[in-house]
Amino acid sequence: MPRLTIDGKEIEVPAGANLIEAARRLGIEIPHYCYHPGLSIAGQCRLCMVELEKNPRPQIACNMVAMDGMVVHTQTPKVLETRKSIMEFHLINHPLDCPVCDQAGECWLQIYYMKHGLYDSRFVEEKVHKPKAVPLGPHVILDAERCILCSRCTRFCDEITKTGELGIFNRGDHSEVGLFPGKVLDNRYSGNVVDICPVGALTDRDFRFQVRVWYLDTQKSVCPGCSRGCNIEIHSNVRRPHHAQGRRVARLKPRYNPHVNDWWICDAGRYGFGSIDQGRITFPQLREGGLLREVTWREALALLIDRLRAYGPDEIGLLASPEMTNEELFLIRRLAETLGVKNLDFQVPPREPGDEDDFLLRADKNPNTRGAEAIGLWPADRGLDAWEMLEALRREQLKCLWVFHHDVTRCGWPEGAVLEALQAAQCLIYTGSNVNGMTERAHLVLPAATYAEKEGTFTNFEGRVQRIRKALPPLGDSRADWEILGECLEALNAGPKPNRPEEVFRALAHAVPAFAGLTYRDLGEYGLMLREVAHGASR
Amino acid sequence: MSLAGQMIAFTPAQLDEVRRLQALYPDPRAALLPVLQLAQEAFDFISPDVEQYVAGLFDLSPAHVHEVVTFYSLFFTKPVGRHVVSVCRTLSCHLLGAPDVVAYLKERLGIEAGATTKDGKVTFFTVECLCACEMAPMMQVNDRYEGHLTREKIDRILERLE
Repeated sequence: MPRLTIDGKEIEVPAGANLIEAARRLGIEIPHYCYHPGLSIAGQCRLCMVELEKNPRPQIACNMVAMDGMVVHTQTPKVLETRKSIMEFHLINHPLDCPVCDQAGECWLQIYYMKHGLYDSRFVEEKVHKPKAVPLGPHVILDAERCILCSRCTRFCDEITKTGELGIFNRGDHSEVGLFPGKVLDNRYSGNVVDICPVGALTDRDFRFQVRVWYLDTQKSVCPGCSRGCNIEIHSNVRRPHHAQGRRVARLKPRYNPHVNDWWICDAGRYGFGSIDQGRITFPQLREGGLLREVTWREALALLIDRLRAYGPDEIGLLASPEMTNEELFLIRRLAETLGVKNLDFQVPPREPGDEDDFLLRADKNPNTRGAEAIGLWPADRGLDAWEMLEALRREQLKCLWVFHHDVTRCGWPEGAVLEALQAAQCLIYTGSNVNGMTERAHLVLPAATYAEKEGTFTNFEGRVQRIRKALPPLGDSRADWEILGECLEALNAGPKPNRPEEVFRALAHAVPAFAGLTYRDLGEYGLMLREVAHGASR
Repeated sequence: MSLAGQMIAFTPAQLDEVRRLQALYPDPRAALLPVLQLAQEAFDFISPDVEQYVAGLFDLSPAHVHEVVTFYSLFFTKPVGRHVVSVCRTLSCHLLGAPDVVAYLKERLGIEAGATTKDGKVTFFTVECLCACEMAPMMQVNDRYEGHLTREKIDRILERLE
């Protein structure tokens, strides 16, 4: 491991680390545009110049591997002057219209001009003009005048997706990023080029001009779009609700996790947040005379308990969902045990098989299938699985079915048979977030918070347990599943309701060997793996 | 010569030349420029279809080939005439009468700079210094430099063109 000195501080870094990464470990920021740790070195922007002792001229830090005994200076007058000149060079043809640019507030030209530029403009000539507001594909729009030609986007398409749509065409100050004639930037990961664009050249068609970024709040979470569990940040706008027609979630951004998704997320996950703000069930409802009537939670819970008590354990079925958190699934298991219900399952086949690739996308479009398996949401001995429960409903052996989140009217099972079974139910309870075929049929509808509105953990397909956090309050009167289940268990005299999911997680770690030893604190930023346990041994 | 709509493909002999060029360099991509020159000879100009074809020969993305083609000014990305005339308009030639040469060519050919005659015979461009100030005013006709241009000389040169 090479040992070197940067700005008078000594540090040992892994072999092969470049000077930007070495300095980062010391908390020293070397400004840069083209360097990205997930991409090849381009050496294009020249901003990361540092001085090396015994070297006549400043060198670019991105392409300089840390060597034993190196002495690096990042703050000498020569370095500072070089940075200033390079900033001036980058901004020569850049439009000076930050107030109308959507990147303002998260633009590295703005940030570095304030930190390293602060020169007075000497440019009196006409700036070079280039194409503006050019749609590159379904998600990304290009403003070639704002581009500094760092080539991050072209390298992303060459090296990560290997689709090669983008290039830098022409020469000199006429160079511009563009698509090969006739091509469209329409790969499954195209949104990432917007994240890595350091300036306002590539913006997100879904997000641009919706809300200024400084009004956004951010929260760490995990994408529920598939079983990969990519780490994300939820960017929400609650400070200026009038700016985006009440859309609270403004955008999702990938969050670095070297064990799961590195710096990237797929487009399906990135743009799949519409259901958080649209088509929501916002209050408990009771079906009377065929019509749903709004009721209070107090009424709804009283009715729920009454129903659960009215039927025998063999007449009740519980259909949990792999969209629910580990904590919530554990509470369902506890509910089944409390009631003595053996008819318990969590899996319903999807209507269409999910698409998968060899990068991030997984065919299983549920965030917590592995968690449900580990916690053991299977039928207890001689209990019914999901399909058998529907068949038993149709035969009127099963009287009461409580479904969480699944829209069984739109799944891989024949619709006619499903509808017939649901029709035959004496009591159909549905807990979900969005209006669907189930809300049209359920006798009692309990509105559930989405993943963006609650705390908890998901277990990805590899067995990595990761935290989701509350970015927003639950919409309307909706409540997190763990709260609904906690109330229910308390009413059934199965112990006091939990105050927060962490308490449930503690009990889960105690009760389920796969989770033994895990705590919220230890899960940290990147999550932790389940203890290796035999399939289903936790039950 | 390829006609519009014809399949874009090198002849076996041209493909041998491509392989020979690629074998000259440790990284075969270094042969991209000479292969593009070959392509321009074979297909008259470098269309996106040609870029795609050449990209396939190098296992490169077509966008990368397009980068190279657009970087250089001597690759034609649009059809040109059978003969290409490039008139120098930089200082030495300018002082010794390049504006007259350009005006006379426009008159003789009946086209503006950058255009092709209706019969597809001649395309003429104005260009920057061709490094032949000693023969100013001068122009390049296909692969030949023609200097000390006068109206009479231009007439003779144009008459020689097929």
